[in-house]
Amino acid sequence: MGRGGGPSAILPRDKGAAPLDVVIAVMAFLAALALGASLIAERAALGWRAGLADRLTVQILPPATGAPAGAMDREMAAALGVLRSTPGIARAEALSEGQTLSLVKPWLGSDALVAELPLPRLIDAGVAPGADVDLAALRARLNRAAPHSLLDDHGRWIGRLKGLADGVVWSAYAILILIAVATAAAVSFATRAGLQAHHEIVELLHQMGAHSSFIARAFERHYFISALSASTVGTALAAIVFLTAGGLEAAGVEAVPFLPPLALKPLEIPWLFAVPAASAAIALATARLSVLAALRRIY
Amino acid sequence: MFAMMVRFENVGMRYGAGPEVLRDVTFTLEAGSFTFLTGLSGAGKTTLLRLINMTQPPSRGLVTLFGRDLSITKRSEFPALRRRIGVVFQDFRLLDHLSAFDNVALPLMLAGRRQAAYAQDVEELLTWVGLGDRMRALPTTLSGGEQQRIAIARAVVARPDLLIADEPTGNVDAEIGQRLIRLFAELNRLGTTVLIATHDRALIEGARAREMRLVDGRLVELRAAR
Repeated sequence: MGRGGGPSAILPRDKGAAPLDVVIAVMAFLAALALGASLIAERAALGWRAGLADRLTVQILPPATGAPAGAMDREMAAALGVLRSTPGIARAEALSEGQTLSLVKPWLGSDALVAELPLPRLIDAGVAPGADVDLAALRARLNRAAPHSLLDDHGRWIGRLKGLADGVVWSAYAILILIAVATAAAVSFATRAGLQAHHEIVELLHQMGAHSSFIARAFERHYFISALSASTVGTALAAIVFLTAGGLEAAGVEAVPFLPPLALKPLEIPWLFAVPAASAAIALATARLSVLAALRRIY
Repeated sequence: MFAMMVRFENVGMRYGAGPEVLRDVTFTLEAGSFTFLTGLSGAGKTTLLRLINMTQPPSRGLVTLFGRDLSITKRSEFPALRRRIGVVFQDFRLLDHLSAFDNVALPLMLAGRRQAAYAQDVEELLTWVGLGDRMRALPTTLSGGEQQRIAIARAVVARPDLLIADEPTGNVDAEIGQRLIRLFAELNRLGTTVLIATHDRALIEGARAREMRLVDGRLVELRAAR
């Protein structure tokens, strides 16, 4: 306590704190990873939705063998005409053959054989912001004008991606809750062990007229500081993981193809430090409740 | 101030299924009195002091403290009552990780006083008990006698209404013992009721105070205050 101090100085800092510090640091590391994953998933879901929500794709499928030459071009022009005359469609552009080939390149490559494949022709259309396009009517008009056309509003993809992102986010929340419960249990256990280790001090304070709340304050501050410092270390390690992933992404290393990079943006990193704040608050509340409950039983 | 600080009526005490350590103990400590409690080792002196300090309830009988019947006093009121009692424990019970200054200041901190308000009092008291140059020392670096003086300073620093001391001069030489008794007498003169459990006949003979003796758990009044 130096010369004078608060209840926290009543307890020595050294007794049996290290194992709890390690447990809390590991918990905080895992919690920060889960929180970071939820931030990445939410950001990715927003990006996917923004990228696909206001877009339509029309495919003109290759006609059966023996169809008159130029049939695909005619259907293409008819479909473009329908799209451009539909209220709410802001733009409609045909993709060139080269653009179509570049789309399949990641899966099929780019050799001469691919160029021989009967690939569909594609039209990329954009819906004006806020416009409500009747997709069923549009689909019927397109089929009348271009019998081999297929209209795709990406609803199925958006639904699946949203489901995937929501799954990741809710899983992360569930993990965070489990970690919070585990942290509370660890602190509760450590507090009871601390009461045992310091029972002579607790007994003396009681005999000198200390209220249970004074003794509880000594313990809660002890574990608050312990949890805050240990969980800050764990969270800092998780932040380093995310920053390293960001560095690898910048260097062109792709972690998992077609999935968003496992990196947080610099402005998202501070969110991770909600973990030490929550961890310290959980430790404080758990220690207080555990000590008060134990003291009620003992004295 | 209550006329009766402590009153025992037919108090009996046994630990578990063991024999009675105290039997039909009846006495009163008047406010402002100075009393010695004597008896052989194991006679029950420490148990009697523990009952006064509410560390444990009696097996039977009635204990009244500051006019309150402890059998019907809520446990939540015990801390406030205990803060009115200064206790010198036989085994000192100092906090080894706190300095001499902080150990002595503990009751004042428990009472919610700020360090700036009590620092001078604590320093003066430590000087009075001959430890003015050891304020920053940890108890483990001090001799048994020095630790005992810290324990006594801690018990008296808050000027309690009642001081109970268990063999407070057991580890100090005669000169320091007399000095500590003068400290107790000065505290008593200022209004504190003092009860000292001791073996030290020289200490008892040198003071003009009441003596109660425990013999096989029964209390015998040997001498009224002179």
